[in-house]
Amino acid sequence: MVEPKTTAPHQRTPTAETVLPLSRVRTIMKSSMDTGLITNEVLFLMTKCSELFVQHLAREAYAASCSKETSDTLKYEHLSQLVNKSSNLEFLLQIVPEKIRVHTFQEMLRLNRSGATSDDDDDDSESESESESDE
Amino acid sequence: MVERIEDLNLPNAVIARLIKEALPDGANVSKEARAAIARAASVFTIFVTSSSTALAHKQNHKTITAKDIMQTLTELDFESFVPSLSQDLEVYRKVVKDKKDSKASKKDASGAADVSASGSGATEEAL
Repeated sequence: MVEPKTTAPHQRTPTAETVLPLSRVRTIMKSSMDTGLITNEVLFLMTKCSELFVQHLAREAYAASCSKETSDTLKYEHLSQLVNKSSNLEFLLQIVPEKIRVHTFQEMLRLNRSGATSDDDDDDSESESESESDE
Repeated sequence: MVERIEDLNLPNAVIARLIKEALPDGANVSKEARAAIARAASVFTIFVTSSSTALAHKQNHKTITAKDIMQTLTELDFESFVPSLSQDLEVYRKVVKDKKDSKASKKDASGAADVSASGSGATEEAL
């Protein structure tokens, strides 16, 4: 049980079984605009694909961050860091945003305000940081 | 259709199991990280579905096919998923075909048998 997991984490046997519920994946797919008919084959494929994605995300985030640290816990910060630096995860930037402390944010705002008078380009970054305050 | 936003969430327990499988033994996952991965997976599904749909429409197809999904994954820089998915798909197609074949042979057998046997075969078919 333990052996294959540590030696070959990427290897797995192909199955026709899914772990995630097909019906839920169908609902998610239907929520996307003008999806036509969803065949059973496509539904199966998307479900498998989502399972692979979950494991890919967990593995990459864990490998990138946890190996350097003494802690062996996968934390939110590891995920947001991974999303931030991976170009193929760009679509998740607003879903898994980097956390920011209130006083850091206030500091950024203050710096932006003082900078805005001298440089017009700062308006852009200011509105960006405002949207982050939602978190 | 989606009535509540929770309908788009994937089950927590299954996500937890998938993550556990992917990580080495003894690794922990914070609650927040698990929730983020679950959310990300839902968004990923929508993202790939809509991209595949767009691709199918571009080729004047109304419904998406397995091929569209594979091509979309490659375009979105997730080509590492394609080999595993192709294998899964192969197994899936075989299972579906076997089911169909066994059903057909059952039908033939019940057709050759007497009236009561073919009657039970028909009800099985209906189920």
